[in-house]
Amino acid sequence: MFLRLVADSFTRRPRRKVLTAAALSLGMAVVTAALSVSLDVGDRLASEFRSLGANLVVTPQADSLPLEIGGVDYRPVNAGAYLPEADLPKIKTVFWHNNIIAFSPTLEVRVQSWTPQFSPASATFVKPAANGDALLIGAWSNHDVRLPDGGSFVTGLKQTNPWWSVDGAWFNDGEGECIVGSNFAKKNAVLIGSPLYLEGSVAGHGLALKVTGIFSGGGAEDDGVVAPLSIVQQYLQKPGQYRKLLVSALTKPEDEFARRDPKAMKADEFERWSCSPYVSSIAYSIRQVLPGTDVRVIRRVAEGEGTILTRVRALLWMVTFAALLAAALAVGASSAASVIERRTEIGLMKALGAGSGTVGFLLAAEQLLLAFVGGGIGYSLGIILARLVGLKIFGVAPEPSLLVLVAVLALAAGVTLIGSAIPLRRASRYEPAPILRGE
Amino acid sequence: MGALGNGNRAMFWRIVRRLLGANRGRLFVILLALGAGAAVTAALLNLQVDAKRRLTTEFRAFGANVIISHKAATSWDSVTTVNDSIMDAISKSIGPSGAEATSFLYVVAGVRGPRGGAPVNAILAGKGRTGVHQVSVTIIPPPTNPDDPWYNLAVPGDLPCTLGVQLAKQLDAHVGDTISILISDRRRTCRVSSLAETGGPEDSQVTVMLDFAQRLANLPGRISDVEILVPGTPKQIDEYVSALQEQFPDLGVRPIRQFTDAQATIYGRISGLLNFTVAVVLILTALCVMAAMTNVAMERKNDVGLMKAIGGATRRVLRLFMMEAALLGLASGVIGAAVGIFLSIWLGKQVFGVAAQPRLIVYPVAVALTVIVAILSAYPLRRLAGVRPASVFRGEA
Repeated sequence: MFLRLVADSFTRRPRRKVLTAAALSLGMAVVTAALSVSLDVGDRLASEFRSLGANLVVTPQADSLPLEIGGVDYRPVNAGAYLPEADLPKIKTVFWHNNIIAFSPTLEVRVQSWTPQFSPASATFVKPAANGDALLIGAWSNHDVRLPDGGSFVTGLKQTNPWWSVDGAWFNDGEGECIVGSNFAKKNAVLIGSPLYLEGSVAGHGLALKVTGIFSGGGAEDDGVVAPLSIVQQYLQKPGQYRKLLVSALTKPEDEFARRDPKAMKADEFERWSCSPYVSSIAYSIRQVLPGTDVRVIRRVAEGEGTILTRVRALLWMVTFAALLAAALAVGASSAASVIERRTEIGLMKALGAGSGTVGFLLAAEQLLLAFVGGGIGYSLGIILARLVGLKIFGVAPEPSLLVLVAVLALAAGVTLIGSAIPLRRASRYEPAPILRGE
Repeated sequence: MGALGNGNRAMFWRIVRRLLGANRGRLFVILLALGAGAAVTAALLNLQVDAKRRLTTEFRAFGANVIISHKAATSWDSVTTVNDSIMDAISKSIGPSGAEATSFLYVVAGVRGPRGGAPVNAILAGKGRTGVHQVSVTIIPPPTNPDDPWYNLAVPGDLPCTLGVQLAKQLDAHVGDTISILISDRRRTCRVSSLAETGGPEDSQVTVMLDFAQRLANLPGRISDVEILVPGTPKQIDEYVSALQEQFPDLGVRPIRQFTDAQATIYGRISGLLNFTVAVVLILTALCVMAAMTNVAMERKNDVGLMKAIGGATRRVLRLFMMEAALLGLASGVIGAAVGIFLSIWLGKQVFGVAAQPRLIVYPVAVALTVIVAILSAYPLRRLAGVRPASVFRGEA
């Protein structure tokens, strides 16, 4: 009988029920979209901040001090220490290897450059006067790193310095190619595709490269040349060695706890510290796998990122909470309305001898059914909405999450029940007779 | 005609009053829905306007994002410097308020640690005055507080300096030690007042006040660059950079793309997200009121039937309900939006640590939006136009 009553209520006035369910689905769709986006957005924003580039820098421990002014290192050539490139795959074996999204070793040297000029008189290419000093940076563009576990990891400057814009193409790692900075290209009239000769005081021999692109990074590197690391190593006669490593890692904003000295921590504290992806604990674990290095946090990037990320996350959750509240109110009001309009029916049921409890139970069952149907439809709609929003704002759609489904169904059920509880309580006080008389 | 018009108007308002007062419970639900919607909308709108502005100030954490230096890049043969009078010129430029300009002089110097030994080559950075823009840039004169030894050359004893951690390690120097700095035959001692660890070039520098560095390097009145922290939206930063470039055609003005580009992306993402949420809340409010109004439409069939039976034109009847909705929207908008603005002040405090400034423009916008939403969501009442008086009186639903 109970089920029949519920079924009857749905079939008898389908339009009314569809309306309530529609309101519910729309409300829940919005909740789903807001929740999915905010659950996903934390991670998404963290990776967005990686467009700031590396937040860790690795240098040899025994290095001489860099004498850098405006990005130009005044250190004499050959001064300082080098690190073995062969150790690099180990970085992807640290506990937080999944958070390390890019790294790129670099080797810098000061060179003289010249572009051969065609001399019509002798019909040959001649060497003009040198263009002057330039900075040659050896780096990876898109290097395939073989990992110890057999996998591979593609990384390089493209990933660690995402703000570089390249006109033309990046060089291929291992080839005799290079990209030149925009200032360098302008000053020396270098075009894409033209050959470039470099020589320095290092080994007394030159290096011929083909220019594949012109890049702009907005720093001192715009006056330099970037070539594959292996080519620069050969040229410098430092095979398999690099000078500086930039690491870009996804981190958790640092708090009080993160800033404590790991050496002064108790065993359990240390474990908790090293199991949180703080930039300092990632630096610590990299130091463990790369002996003889200094791993420093680039404070300017890491701290700026930390502050803004914390703020924005709080803002997002607050906004999501506001959307939840508004949705709950909307759904609650519509279910309250759906109970109010059924006063006559309630009166009749009571006149026929149904207790307030039975009536309440019946209506609650109906509302719950509606909540699950509406919530389910709302969830599917919300996922589509979240995809649209995610694609529009972040360019990537958030993954549908089971957690959101559970939260949405629970919220739908809770809100409809609370929304209908208030009119139901009033309904339980109704005297059947006046209602049936139509008063 | 006039009397009839007056009578009609009085009747109109009387009916509106009665409609509003007919069902207190329902009135309360609608008012609550609209009011809550207005509050959340106003809070989010205010927070949105404020958050966008606040976000640009948060970007300060990244430090300077525009550098002005000699057009010819520094090369190995010569360290290029510019006249420090450009600081005064910058002060006359119009830029986003809150911009900070600091002048620096960088030279290579020998540094000898407290334990003696051969001097280590390091960069000596002379840090000059900082100007903070309010409306345009104002240069704050160096503090003349005699207790601040950083700026006061007259304080007896050694001048303070900040030592980068890597240099400190090499020199085996600690806070409080005295180190000496040599450039050719000039030599001065200074006391390490603090250590700096930034992960950047500062780690291997020794930083002193600009005057000290200029004297030691024998470069009076010269600086290497001016580093400017420009807050604001990406557009404002771009405009300021072009304005500066126009003002200093002989100098190189370049934005640090690493930071300006990232700021632009992040700013775009977050403001998009905030816009989306405001739209969502408006839709939800409309939904909420529409649900309540559907209910109203059902209940009012009898009233409408009666009105039509005694000669009320459909349009006039509908106008009554529109007016009712508009009044409801106005009342709840006025109260809700005020509550919302107070809410956003509190929310702003929670998120940014600083109370959000109430924006006056937000209030009328939120009220207007609420009224529009209320009228639009009275759409279900249109169904009443189709009511046939006879069937209503016969009791057919």
